[in-house]
Amino acid sequence: MTARWAREVDWVLLGTTGLITAYGVVVLLSATHGVAEPAAVLRTRLLHVAVGLGALIAAAAFDYRRLATAAGLIYGATLALLAAVLVVGDVRLGAQRWIPLGPFGAFQPSEVAKLTLIVTLARHLDVARTLPRMRALFPFLAHAALPALLIMRQPDMGTALVLVAILAAMLYVGGARPADLAGLGAAGAVVAPFFWQALHDYQRRRLTAFLDPAADPLGAGYALIQAKIAIGSGQLFGKGLFAGTQNVLRFIPEQHTDFIFTVVGEELGLAGTLALLGLFLVWIWRALGIAAGARDRLGALMAAGVAAMMLFHVVVNVGMTIGLMPVTGIPLPLVSYGGSSLLVTLAATGLLLGIRLRRSWF
Amino acid sequence: MTPGPWATRIGHLGLVVILAFALLAGRLWQLQAIEGGHYLELSEQNRIRDYAVPAPRGVIFDRRGQPLVTNRASFTVALLPMEVRDPPRLAEALARLLDVDAAEILARLAEGRRRPFEPVRLRRDVDRRVVVAIEENRLDLPGVVIQAEPVREYLHGALAGHALGYLGEITEAELRTRPDYRPGDLIGKTGVERTYDDLLRGQAGRLRVEVDAAGRPGRVLGRQAARPGHSLVLNLDATLQRVAEEQLRGHVGAVVAMDPRTGEVLVLASSPGYDPAVFAGGISPANWRRLTSDRGLPLLNRATEGTYEPGSVFKVVTGTAALAEGVARRESTYACTGALVLGRWVFRDLAAYGTVSFVRGVQVSCNVMFWTLGRAVGPERLARYATALGLGVPTGVDLPAEAAGFIPSVAWKPRAHGEPWYPGDTLNMSIGQGWVLTTPLQVARMLSAIANGGTLVQPVLARRVITPDGREVRAIAGRRTPVPERLPAAALETLREGLRAVVEAGTGRAAAVEGLAVAGKTGSAENPRGRPHAWFAGYAPAERPALVVVAFVEHGYRGGIAAAPIAKAIFEAARSSLLAETGGAP
Repeated sequence: MTARWAREVDWVLLGTTGLITAYGVVVLLSATHGVAEPAAVLRTRLLHVAVGLGALIAAAAFDYRRLATAAGLIYGATLALLAAVLVVGDVRLGAQRWIPLGPFGAFQPSEVAKLTLIVTLARHLDVARTLPRMRALFPFLAHAALPALLIMRQPDMGTALVLVAILAAMLYVGGARPADLAGLGAAGAVVAPFFWQALHDYQRRRLTAFLDPAADPLGAGYALIQAKIAIGSGQLFGKGLFAGTQNVLRFIPEQHTDFIFTVVGEELGLAGTLALLGLFLVWIWRALGIAAGARDRLGALMAAGVAAMMLFHVVVNVGMTIGLMPVTGIPLPLVSYGGSSLLVTLAATGLLLGIRLRRSWF
Repeated sequence: MTPGPWATRIGHLGLVVILAFALLAGRLWQLQAIEGGHYLELSEQNRIRDYAVPAPRGVIFDRRGQPLVTNRASFTVALLPMEVRDPPRLAEALARLLDVDAAEILARLAEGRRRPFEPVRLRRDVDRRVVVAIEENRLDLPGVVIQAEPVREYLHGALAGHALGYLGEITEAELRTRPDYRPGDLIGKTGVERTYDDLLRGQAGRLRVEVDAAGRPGRVLGRQAARPGHSLVLNLDATLQRVAEEQLRGHVGAVVAMDPRTGEVLVLASSPGYDPAVFAGGISPANWRRLTSDRGLPLLNRATEGTYEPGSVFKVVTGTAALAEGVARRESTYACTGALVLGRWVFRDLAAYGTVSFVRGVQVSCNVMFWTLGRAVGPERLARYATALGLGVPTGVDLPAEAAGFIPSVAWKPRAHGEPWYPGDTLNMSIGQGWVLTTPLQVARMLSAIANGGTLVQPVLARRVITPDGREVRAIAGRRTPVPERLPAAALETLREGLRAVVEAGTGRAAAVEGLAVAGKTGSAENPRGRPHAWFAGYAPAERPALVVVAFVEHGYRGGIAAAPIAKAIFEAARSSLLAETGGAP
């Protein structure tokens, strides 16, 4: 019994998750070197990992099909949290994203919203069975739009866009006609200018700065220029851990959170960045594998949503540091400092493991 | 088990994943493998800053080793353009703190953006209170740095301000010809600070520091010490200079004192003066306006940059030419009837002195005699002697912006005025009127040649260049050249006898000093701008001249009344050392 259970665990996914997390701890120690006590950083991080591991195990053990039956409750609770954060949330860096949790620090409901969307949308799509025409997609659009708009209000554009990516991937896997999806995309392009108007000035500047960072080298383009310098200057093998001058001398803002990939690039070089990307590729590949091999449509949709979430995070975060993507401020999963993100990513991993476990079980 | 119907679409997602990762990997390859060297260079530029460490400027001493100008520590407020986030707001805040125009700050900042890591100086020598205020608000003032820099300290205030000169920030034009300076550097603008700038300034050191993103310096990666500038010992005598300036107080004028044997300038005073200290920390626009709009032209060094009609002082030239050319002799007599008739014109003298000898004619400054001599010598020879004695030509003094003055000539007049040279012009010229213009320093040089027996000396303010620890780098001496005209010893002898008589019993009695034989010549120079200029040019001891003094008071009216007492005060102050030096009895 135990042996069979163990055989059904995706050790590659679990191992990859562990490796990325460990990699992240090392890089994080370097990124916070000289600013925070290493022991304190390590302690906090390990605490987050421990809690996250709990979440992972719980998510793997709990049957995702039973979880899906509680979709309405989960969805409602998440919306309530997202609304609450707008009222009682802490304001940090100009955005209201955190709900204070006393001694446990603070908590970001928007992180949970990603997982909520994956689970509830999977349930929603599973119930609908088919998506024969564009009109059939509208309820799902509304489903994702509600939390996305609340998140936009914080404002946290990056996470809102993650929700959009998850929606798109899950609709596709759920059987939406490519023409319908393309139509939605076109409609999105049409309404985009209105959203553009609604954005804060700094958000607009950040979004366009990557096209020409040199236009505002001390303002919006600053982080982009410095990030590229950091990563490029790492060359093939990097300057060595704790030896990146861009990192140690604080040329990059938010280097321990959104811009942590620059520390990898500068201190470990191309070898380090490709190794980390390789690990993420394996992770996503396994997630897609689990989706493909899921025993039911519900599991496949959930796994695909998780894979899309991870893909979007990695591509947008890394792309932002190397000048391919606008700065949207989303973390690099398992690596960036931040408990909520780590917890949610590990829970998502647990969800994947659970789907895989139940492929042939029961 | 068979894959679900969704597997195909998940395969498509896989394709997207591959593409996305390929894009990322390709970009990383480009940044790190291909362009990595370039970015490494950029990251080095980011973290490494080279700062110039200002070299303390050389000290300036007077001839007795008394320091006149030294340096003191000061604080300069500067901006690192790289670190400035919100220029208009910052300029606003700094304008209030530093009392500098916000627009000026923004202009300097814009200028500095070309070299974003170089500090741009906003204000030197700020008050300690300002430094404290800036340090307290450091977080609200990103990019503001405070640098310790030596600034000039003038131990005697305005004393010898014109001779010493002031410093100022180097201009764009000056920068073009001096590549070894950097924008914002101080450079000598006038006085010996200008002439000897290269020696005084030393060489700035370099400090190579690793800085963080906020520009805060960390590890020192290398340093090259600043080489302090050489010090300068002047010929100037602070005691005599002070006497001269006290004498000039309330007058507009100049005083020059020099050693006729060597050209050493002991006094170079010009009034009104200015305090070079107002320039030390960068002159404020208000002060600059005040100095440049003052009708008394305090920045003008009247001793070397002002040109004036010499009046009767020029009679020394006329007398020399007449004696040297044999037109006059010691025994000659002249009828000083009070007027000279030239054709239809009558030239009136101040008084009638009866029949006078040459010496007596000098003593009473008889115009008729000098008109007569001037006519006999002729304008060409008069001009030649004047030029030979250094009038109307720059003296070569070690100061910038020296004026040349002017000696008219027969050939010049038709060109300039469209009229021939009239005999009356010769008369005017022979008593230093007409178009003759000289600087007080030229008069001192002319008289020195008479006093020393016929050698033109180049006036020099600086005496020695020494290292900060006192070793001599080089000695500075003026060129000495024989007057390029025949000057028989007997002729000079006779002239000097006359000059001696001027002070003993003539127009220059007010310059007489007890126990010291003073000789000289007074002058009251008519000029088109107002009352006559008062001149006195003299030397002492009469028998072995060691000090020439020229006192000049603009519109002072009578040389014997307004100028001679000034010279007397200086001779008096110098008496004991003059007597000791020349071996005369007190």
